[in-house]
Amino acid sequence: MLELIDLSKRFGDVVALDGAGFVVESGRILGFLGPNGAGKTTAMRVVFGLVRPETGTVSWNGGPVGPAERLRFGYMPEERGLYPKMKVHDQLVHFSRLSGLSKTEANESVDHWLDVLGLAGRGDGKLDDLSHGNQQRAQLAAALAPNPELLILDEPFAGLDPIGVESLAETLRGLASEGVTIVFSSHQLDLVEDVCQDVAIINEGRVVLSGSLDDIKNRSKKRRLTIDVDGEPWIPDMPGVEVVDGPGPSHCIVDDDAPVADLLAAANTAGTVNRFVFEPPRLTDLFRAAVGS
Amino acid sequence: MNPWRQVALLAKREFLERVRSKPFIITMSLLVVAILAIGPVISMISGGADEVTKVGLAGEELPGIEQELYDQAILFDIEIEVERFPTRAEAETALTDGRVAVVLVDGTEIVFHTSGSSRLTALVHNAVDTTLKTQALTELGLSENEIALVVEPVPVEVTTLEEQNAQDEVKRGAAFVGAIFLYISIIMFGQFVAMGTVEEKQNRVVEVILSRVRPWQVLVGKVVGIGLIGLLQLVVFSGAAYISAQFADLPDIDVAAIGLPVIASLLFWFVLGYTFYAFLYAAVGSTVSRQEDLQGALMIPIALILPGYLLAIFAAEDPDALLPTVASWLPPWAPFVMPVRIAAGVAQPWEIVVAVVGTVLGAIALVWIGSRVYSGALLRTGGKISLREAWKAAAE
Repeated sequence: MLELIDLSKRFGDVVALDGAGFVVESGRILGFLGPNGAGKTTAMRVVFGLVRPETGTVSWNGGPVGPAERLRFGYMPEERGLYPKMKVHDQLVHFSRLSGLSKTEANESVDHWLDVLGLAGRGDGKLDDLSHGNQQRAQLAAALAPNPELLILDEPFAGLDPIGVESLAETLRGLASEGVTIVFSSHQLDLVEDVCQDVAIINEGRVVLSGSLDDIKNRSKKRRLTIDVDGEPWIPDMPGVEVVDGPGPSHCIVDDDAPVADLLAAANTAGTVNRFVFEPPRLTDLFRAAVGS
Repeated sequence: MNPWRQVALLAKREFLERVRSKPFIITMSLLVVAILAIGPVISMISGGADEVTKVGLAGEELPGIEQELYDQAILFDIEIEVERFPTRAEAETALTDGRVAVVLVDGTEIVFHTSGSSRLTALVHNAVDTTLKTQALTELGLSENEIALVVEPVPVEVTTLEEQNAQDEVKRGAAFVGAIFLYISIIMFGQFVAMGTVEEKQNRVVEVILSRVRPWQVLVGKVVGIGLIGLLQLVVFSGAAYISAQFADLPDIDVAAIGLPVIASLLFWFVLGYTFYAFLYAAVGSTVSRQEDLQGALMIPIALILPGYLLAIFAAEDPDALLPTVASWLPPWAPFVMPVRIAAGVAQPWEIVVAVVGTVLGAIALVWIGSRVYSGALLRTGGKISLREAWKAAAE
């Protein structure tokens, strides 16, 4: 279990973290969300000791996190970077050995992950010779090859093609089922909704919403209402309705105690109802509400 | 995991990635070949001394001149061979072709091709003079012994007040060449450290590394790995120079007696000097984010190293002067100046101790200062930060 407790950090006049904290249970995948500049990268760097917080602590399985613990963590930084002129296989082995793997273990693990990530046969080439997407995969391999217990990935899906996205999602689910704890940040909320069990939303250095995705949705006082009358979106005429644009028919966000039966009756009098959906909010709705835009 | 094992892994990567690179192998090979070639080339150039100088005789020949030329050649310490030409024209052709160095015509004229060597002139002139005098004295009826008494040179002892010892001269020269080698090596490998640091910052790999190890480990690993390449290069070059010197065919010079101490001193002072400066190079390297900005930052170590080099030149000229003497005690310059003063035989044992201890302490201080600046600056990308900002950032 990873716990970030009350982290604060400022860089000059900029407040990066302002009492941020969240918890990830072992073997779960947490989506770490927030607008640009909200403090995601700083929080991740704190876990790896790259940034020293002014207040707050990070704990792993109840104990403090030091250099020894960090060797069991895998990190894919937002600023991608490996050695451009070094052979891919060699540098992945180097990083794995720095994380404490023996030579044999490192070689085996690197071969395994190159294979899983679709880079089999590319190991002997220099990083520079790989395509952008493959460099991204190599970066991921650097985080995965040491067989970490905790994976922290800063925007791991950015720059991947749809097939790459799907296979990475599959890989992460597989790792979590083996007990690996995963935290990743992303701006692709549909993807997060699809892959994560838990989320933490950070805004202006504070975690404004966190917990299991299902709980958060159920706890929410809002519901998403989608009504389609005669093939056209139909927006009920009542106070507190918020119209959101989305793919397909227009949706609206209403309170969870909205008079569903009355609305359906009203829609029925307006024409033929093709579609009437009253459902928990989506992650994008929660996100928008949480960061207040 | 033992932090020093990680340092060893980092050092190993630095070492292997550079040593395996093609430019490094090619440059090393070319330089080794060049160094190996110097000895035989010197031997070829200076080899003229051992060659036989040909002296031509043309026209009318003085009786006994040939023997007298050989006798004089022994006195002049020149090995000669006399060759006869029937005519002056043929002798001149031989002179023009370089087949003879000098020709004596009719026993009255000394002919050179271009400018004459004063030694050869004197040799031939003495031979002619002695031959003619012997002839004249014989005609006067003097006995051979009496003639010898007149014409044989009286042995005169030659004494020099100050012994000009070729061995000492060469030793000082070698120490000075060593200082140049040291200067070039420290700058070169110091810059490798700085460039390696910027490179890791520029291509952002530094964050991947620092998620596993602490900044001081990265720093020490880099300095050790690159330093070992420096040592390897110095060992290879000085080994090549040593072998090369064996072929230089230098008379009166004991190559082993000069070469081995100079090589040992070079390696010793390289380790000290490099350690001192490498951490400074790493610190300034960590303050910039792009290679283009590095040149400006490198002025700081250069400004310290250059005076050391100039003081070493000074010390080679005048090892006892005040300035080089004081400089040879102080950490930034001791590695350059002290070896030259030691080779000149003027450094007192206590001075050497001060220089070594001072440099070691200075290096330790720079490890500490360098590590702190490096930690503070490593994750700051985007621009250049000052050493002071980096120092403060490390405390955050």
